[in-house]
Amino acid sequence: MSAMLAFDDVTFAYAGQRALEAVTFTIAPGERVALVGRNGAGKSTVLRLVTGLLHPSTGVVRVGDWDTARRRPDELARRVGSLFQHADQQLFARTVADDVAFGPRVTGVALPEIAARVERALASLGLAAVAGEHPYDLPPPWRKLAALAGALALEPALLVLDEPTAGLDRRARAMVGAALAARAESGSALLVVTHDLSFAAETLDRALVLERGRLAWDAPLAGLLADAKRLEALGLVAPPLARLSQALGLPGGPLREQEVARALAQRCRA
Amino acid sequence: MSALALEGVTYRYPATRTPALADVTLAVNRGEVVGVIGNTGAGASTLLLVAADLVPRVLGGELEGRVTRTGRSALLLPTPWTQVSGMAFTVTDEVAFGPANLGWPLERITGAVERALVRVDAAHLAARDPATLSGGELQRVILAGILAMQPDVLLLDEPTAELDPVGAAAVWRLVREVAAEGAAVLVASSDLDALPDGADRIVWLAGGRVRAIGPARTVLSEATLWTEEGPGSTAIAGVWRRAELAAPFPLTVDEALERAR
Repeated sequence: MSAMLAFDDVTFAYAGQRALEAVTFTIAPGERVALVGRNGAGKSTVLRLVTGLLHPSTGVVRVGDWDTARRRPDELARRVGSLFQHADQQLFARTVADDVAFGPRVTGVALPEIAARVERALASLGLAAVAGEHPYDLPPPWRKLAALAGALALEPALLVLDEPTAGLDRRARAMVGAALAARAESGSALLVVTHDLSFAAETLDRALVLERGRLAWDAPLAGLLADAKRLEALGLVAPPLARLSQALGLPGGPLREQEVARALAQRCRA
Repeated sequence: MSALALEGVTYRYPATRTPALADVTLAVNRGEVVGVIGNTGAGASTLLLVAADLVPRVLGGELEGRVTRTGRSALLLPTPWTQVSGMAFTVTDEVAFGPANLGWPLERITGAVERALVRVDAAHLAARDPATLSGGELQRVILAGILAMQPDVLLLDEPTAELDPVGAAAVWRLVREVAAEGAAVLVASSDLDALPDGADRIVWLAGGRVRAIGPARTVLSEATLWTEEGPGSTAIAGVWRRAELAAPFPLTVDEALERAR
């Protein structure tokens, strides 16, 4: 199947400040990809190029068969749902429900369908009870969830998310994980910028690592998390369950909580 | 003597009936790091706003009970991008903003700014325009601005939310150092894996009330943290519990290895 997202030799510089250098990768429909790297490595810049808020200095970014430099951001919203790092900047309606409905409305979704999507998106993130509240009356972590609900309600072919779990509690993190997995099941490609490698290990499969604007790793996340030396060189630290799994030599090197728990139970009861 | 003390504090935001904090009593001593945990809406951020004297003084609302502080307090917000002065064109000037407003002589300001930038590993950003920083870089710069004021009471709300894992570990080490130099530190964090080593004591808030308070390891081992109103504990405690292995749950990889071997 053709790529849902393709970066072809993309370079980008902010006024004199180089942010990305010769970045090339593709993501297929349904793929779950983590984009990781140190602060300032260029992760958020990648997302801004996908959403059309920035255009490459050289090279091409494609969403499906669309060149993002030749489409307006509102056009791109038909294919791309996004969550900004500072989600406050993408909330503006008077109620959470109106905010979530905005994307589907401007991209031409039929009214009854909008209502259904808003309800589904809010329920999937545990926000049904605050649907009528003003977004800015919510605690900051829930504002981020509200913005994520807006991206989910677009039911886009591609979701690009910047730190979706920052500051979230355990229950909200689990809900975000389940909601993203459900989107991927129905064919959406996921590109998730995250420092939360526990969350990445639980929800995503492939890792892209940026190092000073260059792509330094593009392979399964499991391989990266098992390679302590490589992780350290990239400024990353394996999450606790990966470290435990490896130190105990658990069969198959499980990373997700359920699988680590099963292997651990067998080991400790043997 | 405690650098920060709350006695029977109940607080309601303007135009609300349910208190955001209810009958909270807590003391933080110099040299001590106290972690605040709880689910979103449990009151952790409000507790820090009260400690910083921003409520009710700035945000209004009704406060009952007593809050006492010694010396200067400074708060890192969970939304550091709202905490930029907007009046500086370089990171150096941004970090100097707080100290300059304290009326310090120039040499003292310069020294404090340089030292703070080195401490948060942001010396290389000194000449950058704050508006061009990444989220994580900005969080470190704002933290530097707070440290430069040399607060006696350091209040941190999700100080590592924007940081990469190595940067987050460095901030937790820095928090320890600042406490060792004599500051009282109160830090709200959802990074529970960092807390067994990062905090001396922990306060668990649920529905605005103190559900538990005590040594970090004791509180993080509480089985009740896994109930509906609890934030859970470390990833290792979580997987131990899910494997239905015996309590008390280990909290760190090393503790789990000891138990599993």
